[in-house]
Amino acid sequence: MTNSLIAVVLAGGKGTRLYQLTKRVAKPAVEFAAKYRLIDFSLSNCVNSGINTIGVLTQYESTFLNSYIGNGEKWGLNGLHSLMTAIAPKQTDEGASWYKGTADAIAQNIEWIDSMYPENVLILSGDHIYKTTFNDMFWRHTTNDADVTISVIEVDPKEAPRFGIMVADDDDHITEFQEKPKNPKSNLASMGIYMFKWKTLRKLLLEDMKDENSSHDFGNDIIPKMLERNMKVFCYRYNGYWRDVGTIPSLHAANMDIIDGKFNLNSIRDDDRIYTQDTYSLPHYVGKRGTSITSSIANQGAVILGKVNYCVISSDVMIDYDTVCDHCVIMSNVHIGKNSKVRNAIIAPGVWIGDNVSINQDGDEIILVASNMESQVQ
Amino acid sequence: MSDVVGFVDLHYSPSLGALTARRPMGTVTFLGRYGIMDFTLSNFSNSGINDILILAKNYAYSIHSHIQNGQAWINNTKAGYIRTAINEKSINDPTFNTDIGNINANLEQIDLFNTQYFVIAPVHFLTSMDFRPIIDEHRRSGASVTMVYTRVDNSQGKFRNCTSIKLDKSRKIVKSANPHNSAPSIDVSLDTFIISKDALLDLIKMQKNISTLLSISDLINYCINNHLLTINAYRHTNRVFPIFSLHDYVDVSMQLLDHQTRMELFLDWWPIYTTTNNTPPSLYGPKAEVSNSFIANGAIIKGKVTNSIISRDVTIEEGAEVKDSIIFTRSLVGKDVKLSNAVCDKDVKIKQVKELSGSDDEFLVIAKGVTV
Repeated sequence: MTNSLIAVVLAGGKGTRLYQLTKRVAKPAVEFAAKYRLIDFSLSNCVNSGINTIGVLTQYESTFLNSYIGNGEKWGLNGLHSLMTAIAPKQTDEGASWYKGTADAIAQNIEWIDSMYPENVLILSGDHIYKTTFNDMFWRHTTNDADVTISVIEVDPKEAPRFGIMVADDDDHITEFQEKPKNPKSNLASMGIYMFKWKTLRKLLLEDMKDENSSHDFGNDIIPKMLERNMKVFCYRYNGYWRDVGTIPSLHAANMDIIDGKFNLNSIRDDDRIYTQDTYSLPHYVGKRGTSITSSIANQGAVILGKVNYCVISSDVMIDYDTVCDHCVIMSNVHIGKNSKVRNAIIAPGVWIGDNVSINQDGDEIILVASNMESQVQ
Repeated sequence: MSDVVGFVDLHYSPSLGALTARRPMGTVTFLGRYGIMDFTLSNFSNSGINDILILAKNYAYSIHSHIQNGQAWINNTKAGYIRTAINEKSINDPTFNTDIGNINANLEQIDLFNTQYFVIAPVHFLTSMDFRPIIDEHRRSGASVTMVYTRVDNSQGKFRNCTSIKLDKSRKIVKSANPHNSAPSIDVSLDTFIISKDALLDLIKMQKNISTLLSISDLINYCINNHLLTINAYRHTNRVFPIFSLHDYVDVSMQLLDHQTRMELFLDWWPIYTTTNNTPPSLYGPKAEVSNSFIANGAIIKGKVTNSIISRDVTIEEGAEVKDSIIFTRSLVGKDVKLSNAVCDKDVKIKQVKELSGSDDEFLVIAKGVTV
C-alpha cells in the first residue's frame, strides 16, 4: 500500500536565542500558551490533515523529545496504519554523523522514508506556531503535478530581508528564490514548509550528499538547484496566523497574541484542536481575598491567589496572595510567593520566586527569569 | 497485582435527581473535570490493580463515552483492561438487577484460574484509598472477606444511610446495623470489600438460596450477623466524602473549594486520572471578575463568577453573574444573566431568562440541553 502523503518534522533546532529555555530541551519542546509545547502545533496540523505517518527528526537534547513523542498516542497516532516515531542521528556501518543541514537530515533517513512507500513527503519545522490543515496545499500540489510546493506567507517588505523570498508568477509558479535579499523582489517569504514528490526529492538528495560544496540545506541548495533545472516549483499562499519565534520578546509577543484574540485556540470545531500531553491536575483555582484575573489564559492545576492581568498561566503554577503579575508568561510549575511584583517577563518552568520580590518594574524590555529568587525582607 | 480483579460497583449509587436521569452517578461531572467514578478507578490504578470490571446497572453508553478505551487508568494496555459488565437478563427487571447477579452473569469474563482476590468498591464515597496494604492484610489474615470501614463523626448525620458496625477487641466484626445510635462517633462500612475467590463463589450460591434481591453488602451483613464466613475489618483513615443526594453532591463540591479540605481528598502522589479532552487553556476577558472558584480548561470567562465550579468549554458572557453554582460542560450563561444556587447540566444555554436562582436548601437544577 502506498502512502500518498507522509510528514517529516525537523525538530533538532537548538534555539540559541531563547537562552536558558533551551538549555535542557530542544526548541520544539519549549512551552507555549500555558499548556502546549511548540512541536504540538506542527504535529496536530498533520493529524488534522489526515496524515497518519510522521517521522520526527531530533538531534539537540533529543532525550526529552524522543520520550515526549513516544508512540504518538498523545496525537492519536497509535491507530491502525498510523505511525509516529522520533528519529535521532544514528551510528551506522559507515560511521556516525550529526545532521549537517535540513536536507542532510532527510537524506540520512532515506531508508526509513522509503520503507513508508510515500508518493509525497511534507517537510515541516517543529517549532512554528500556526493552525492549519495541509489538505488544500496537497490538492494544489497534485493538480499542479509539482515537484515541490513551498508554503509562503506575505510579509512586510521591510521585514523581507530576514527571510527566504520567493518570486512567483500569477499561477504560483516560482521563478526565483532569494535567500535573505538586500533588495527583495517580492514579499512572499518561505515558511520552511515543503511538499515534495518523493521520487524527485530522493534523487536530488542522493546527488546533494555527494556534493562537497553544498551546505545541505533546502533553501540554500535544493530549491535553487530545482529552479536551475526548470523543475516544477510552486508556491502555496498561506494567509493565517504564523510565527517562527526565535527570541524571548517574540515568544512573549506570540503568547500575548492569544489573549488579544489574534491567535484563537478556543475552537468549537473538532478538526483544529491542538493535541498535547495532559496533566493530572484539578481545574485551576481562583482565590478569594483580593484576587483578580483579567485578560489572561490559565491552564489546569494553577492556583491563582494574587492579581493577574495580561498573563499566560501554565499548568500547576502557584501565585500567592498580594502578588501582582502583569504582562507575564509564567511557565509550568512556577511558584511565586506573597507580595511580589512581576512585569514584562517570561518565567522559565519550575522557577521558584519568594515573597516581596520585585521583577522588571520599570523596564519595557521583556526579560527571562530562569533561576530561583529568594524572598526579600520588606 | 495480577491476581486481583477490581469491581467498580455502580448498582447502588444514590440518585442525584435530574443529574442521574440519563446517566449513572459514576459519570456525573465533578469539580468541572472529573466523573465521580474517576476516584474509584484511580484508587484501583494507583494500587496497581490492572484488571477492572465496571458493574453497570444501566446507561452503558454514558460509561463508555467517559472511560473511552480505558487507557487513562490502565498501566499496561496488554496485560490490563477496563470492561463494563451488564446483567442483560435483569435489565428490564431493576429489583433483581443486583451487583452479585451481575458478577455471576459475567463470571466467564474473569480469569478465575489466575485471580485470587476481588476488590469491590462503590463510587459514592469520595476518598483516596490505597488498596495495597488492605489486600496485604487480607492475604495475611486468611479471612474470607475484609470489610473496609471508617470512623466518622455521627453528629451531622452525613453517614445516616451507611451500615454501622461493631467490632470486638480482635477486630472481628460482631454486628452490623443501621446507625440509629446517638454515639458521637461511629464505625461505618464503606461498602468496600476484599473477597477471596472461594468466598465470592460462596456468596453467589448463598444469594441464590436466600434471596435473589440481595446485594453483596446485604449478604456480607447477613454473614456477620449469622456468624458465617470469617469477616475481618480494616480501618481506612483518609477522609471520606459521602454523596447520598444532590444536596451532598453540591455540598461536597463547594467544600472542596477550600484548600485545606481539598488536600484531604487530593493527596500528593495519589493522582486522580480522567480522560483527556484536548481543551485549550481557559480564557479570561478584560472585565472578568472571578473569586473562590474552579475554572476548567476551554472555559471563556467574560463576566463575574463567585463561589462556583465552571466545567470544560463553558462560556460566561459579559455582564453575566454566576454565584454559588455548578456549571457543566459546554453550557453558556448569556449576557447580563444572573444565576445563583444552580446546577446547570451539560449543554444548557441561558440567554432569554435574565435571572435564575435556587436557594441554599434547594438548588435549582437545569436539565441537560435545555435552552432558556
